[in-house]
Amino acid sequence: MSETRKTIENVPCTFCGCLCDDLIIEIEDGQIVKNTNGCAISKEKLLGCNENRLLQPLINGSPVSLDDAIQHVAEIIASSRRLLIYGLSSTENDAHREAYKIAELVRGVVDNTSSVCHGPTILGVQSSGEPNAMLAEVRNRSDLIIYWGSNPAAAHPRHIPRYIKKEGEYIKDPKEDREIWLVDIRRTTTARMVNKFIQINPASDLEVLLTLRALVRGHVLDVDEVGGLKIDQLKEMAEHMKSAKYGTLFFGLGLTQSRGSHRNIDAAIRLIQDLSAHTKWTMMPMRGHYNVAGANKTSTWMTGYPYAVDYARGYPRYQPGEYTAVDILANGEADALLNIASDPVAHFPIDAVEHIKKIPVINIDPKINMTSKLAEVNIPSAIAGIECDGAATRMDGLPIYLKKVIDPPEGILPDREILRMIYNSLMKVLKK
Amino acid sequence: MNDEIVLKNGRVFDPMNGINGEIKDICISNGKIVEKVSGSAKEIDLKGSTVMPGGVDMHTHILGSKVNMARMMCPETNRHSPYLATKNTRGGVGGITPNSYVTGYLYSIMGYTTVVEPALPPEKALSSWEEIEDIPGLDIGLLPLFGNSMITFRYIKEGDVNGLAAYIAWILKSVGGLGVKVVNPGGTYAWAYGGNIRELDTPVPQWDITPRQIMHGLAEAVELLGLPHQMHLHPNNLGKVGNVETTIAQLEALKSVKGHKKGRSVVHLTHMAFDCLGMVEDGKPEWKYLASAGEEFAKYFNKNKHFTTDLGQITFGPVMTMTGDGPFQFSLYQLTGGKAKWANLPVEVELPGGAGIVPFNFVPTSPAHSLQWATPLEFALNVDDIWRCVMTTDHPNGGPFMKYPLVIAWLMSKKLRGEWIEKAHKLVQERSHLSEIEREYTLEEIAITTRAAPAKILGIERTKGHLGIGADADITVYGFDSEKLNLAANPEKIIKHFSQAKYTFKGGVQVAKKGVVGKHLHARVFSIHPRLDDGLSIRSEKEIADMIGKWYCHSYENYTVPARYREHLEIPTEIDSTSISA
Ligand code: SF4
Ligand SMILES: [Zn+2]
Repeated sequence: MSETRKTIENVPCTFCGCLCDDLIIEIEDGQIVKNTNGCAISKEKLLGCNENRLLQPLINGSPVSLDDAIQHVAEIIASSRRLLIYGLSSTENDAHREAYKIAELVRGVVDNTSSVCHGPTILGVQSSGEPNAMLAEVRNRSDLIIYWGSNPAAAHPRHIPRYIKKEGEYIKDPKEDREIWLVDIRRTTTARMVNKFIQINPASDLEVLLTLRALVRGHVLDVDEVGGLKIDQLKEMAEHMKSAKYGTLFFGLGLTQSRGSHRNIDAAIRLIQDLSAHTKWTMMPMRGHYNVAGANKTSTWMTGYPYAVDYARGYPRYQPGEYTAVDILANGEADALLNIASDPVAHFPIDAVEHIKKIPVINIDPKINMTSKLAEVNIPSAIAGIECDGAATRMDGLPIYLKKVIDPPEGILPDREILRMIYNSLMKVLKK
Repeated sequence: MNDEIVLKNGRVFDPMNGINGEIKDICISNGKIVEKVSGSAKEIDLKGSTVMPGGVDMHTHILGSKVNMARMMCPETNRHSPYLATKNTRGGVGGITPNSYVTGYLYSIMGYTTVVEPALPPEKALSSWEEIEDIPGLDIGLLPLFGNSMITFRYIKEGDVNGLAAYIAWILKSVGGLGVKVVNPGGTYAWAYGGNIRELDTPVPQWDITPRQIMHGLAEAVELLGLPHQMHLHPNNLGKVGNVETTIAQLEALKSVKGHKKGRSVVHLTHMAFDCLGMVEDGKPEWKYLASAGEEFAKYFNKNKHFTTDLGQITFGPVMTMTGDGPFQFSLYQLTGGKAKWANLPVEVELPGGAGIVPFNFVPTSPAHSLQWATPLEFALNVDDIWRCVMTTDHPNGGPFMKYPLVIAWLMSKKLRGEWIEKAHKLVQERSHLSEIEREYTLEEIAITTRAAPAKILGIERTKGHLGIGADADITVYGFDSEKLNLAANPEKIIKHFSQAKYTFKGGVQVAKKGVVGKHLHARVFSIHPRLDDGLSIRSEKEIADMIGKWYCHSYENYTVPARYREHLEIPTEIDSTSISA
């Protein structure tokens, strides 16, 4: 073994909400050369961490010094009247803190990417509550698992192998003792990994959930079929769910982003709550970005609200549908955008993107993305969990400490440092 | 030195040092109370003011996933309570569950300087430290949960109290804890399969051990380690009519635990309001048979010195119930006919079944709520040793901490109690003795129940809860002259002054003045680090690593809260627990 080669164990993977913390990373000459235990996505992300990097700050496409870039950013923000700060779900918690501080200082709006993924889940929680799950509990106890509108085989590759098909303390033989169902509108790759695939008609989730709920409550329904499923099949499902010892519902964007949106989630929550009167049932959103759960959490303790926060009046106000990034852009309200660790130009609806094109954009990201191409200022940052440490939250709420395993490229700083510098120079500009 | 201050001519209530309303100067230097200061010290004239040690809240839920779940689930509870940012302070919301910044500010405004978060799921501690970074103006203690942990169960099952003590020591060090919290021992575990355990000797599913064994073993382990704070207990059978009986049975079961110091209590029974519900004669455990057991429990309390307690006083109005007692929370949700919101948060291995959160409203028109309100007051006004009885509301369960001034006023003023008995349901007069009680707490007694007693019970009385030489300069100045103002006759004045201290000093720094917070001070965290015998340490770490490897799905190496989140906040006290053998 050469002197410059080292191995770091128990490294958390900062890609998806599973935050698997068992990677073994080998480093040679300051570069990651091997990732053991990581899934294909994880390997690509870690081994490819140098690809597509931006190595110097840019103003209007021309390289500048970091100080000049920061100064320019401060001027943009200072002259804006309604700044939108957006992103955060793919960076660590300390960066969030600095972002809220800037939002408060200039009375801007701050939102995270949950507003375009599991925002409806939060709205569902706000009308009904939520009987949550935790991953090791599921592994240790759950005998019936349902994935609904979620395709973990593609989006969370180790979810099934690491947490579900592994033995747990009271599920000694997961093949025998645990049943897995998938409910979706199409046969995805996950279908191959489950015991039962239940195909429902597109946009019928709400009806199917409400029917199951009625059946669990013992109502007799005078219909033959709901959402493409025979009523007898639904009855059987309801009975099976009632007789499980410990059930878990994992749900994805197929449920939050399809017709019904937060109403689907509300119905799912009420179903799980009703089942709780019979046996144990829990549920968990399949959070995508590795720290989107953390973004909701930091926003909640620092501002009082999980996302869509407006400081225009000098204190936080919350209004999804109004202070959510897509809405504030599509309404033409925001007059500057500070984007951190996300790519709204690639993911937002067209009217929101059209407005982004009209306003100054500051983009902080380790890599070149669609948003960087439109940005007036680009500041490259270190990759959290690889090139700087920090904390993040697993999809089930577990906080995990992220490691720094290699140095960032020369002169590149963590998001939190960049944001602190912006805050400080903003203070100076505002004093003038 | 320019950080020296002398507080002159205030009327001082410092029960730990036997000072009861004397005019006295207090000297501050370097954040501490000292004998004297130099001539250049800043002088503040407190003539006509009342001076007490900073308030100590020994049981308040101000951080962690359950509080964040409550904030996220119920934005409506904060919407109408904006808190504006200023040049020196951050903005936020100040409803039932204020955001972190405002939590600190509101405590400072009331004159509180030390608080304890009593429900820390150990594996989630990293988040708590991140939150504490944003809770200004307070010294904070954390009590990790042990009563339903599979690791605890394993040691109990094997009868290995030394191993259990070593596990506690390891957790306290790994997460920065101050003591041991036990919630519904075994009962919340049973909730992992939809059940509960209400009786002392009912076996826990899958484990074949009982709440009696769990509680007793944990209390013994705490005393073996010599922790400054005794086991902090939320008993089984919470919120059930007539549960005063099972609570007394639980306390009886702990009598045989040997305290590590003579004369010291071995258990702290928390939020007695929820644990001591009475029942009319020949009644059944149903709400319509509820009666106050405040006086009955006070009799037991006066006779039995092996425990201390806090009130968990119920105040009328909207609250946010949140406990590690998942099955109790679910029953509360069912009590609303499933109309309320209900969240449940399991913690893998450490709190299977999980904690619950249900927003709730205590209304004076309800007979049950009225009697629940009367119970802790009836108790507090009948106890003969206030050093063992602490005023709390179990924030935000019985009411938000912002209602402490109202609770203090109820304790101090028969007149005010009379007015509220009028507002409450008439059953309060039939099924409680509250209206007959003449007693009114004195200012000295208030200083005991809100400062000196909690500091002593927490084992932090060297520097907290008093104003003697060497104490931290945590000082509250109230803007009334107790010689001139008849408080009992003017309860609205009690509420006014205790809601807004004239000055609050934290570590010698003036943080608040008449409702305005002028300084955003970083929090500090008190923790206990027991030093173990090497042999025990080695054995225990190996066992814990094995159990974490087997039961959790994150790694042993990533369990401990890293120094970078702690070292600038934590003030660890090392204690010698090396006498416990491997
Ligand atoms: S499942 Fe997600 S967190 Fe786990 S290794 Fe793959 S990408 Fe990373
Ligand atoms: Zn409590």
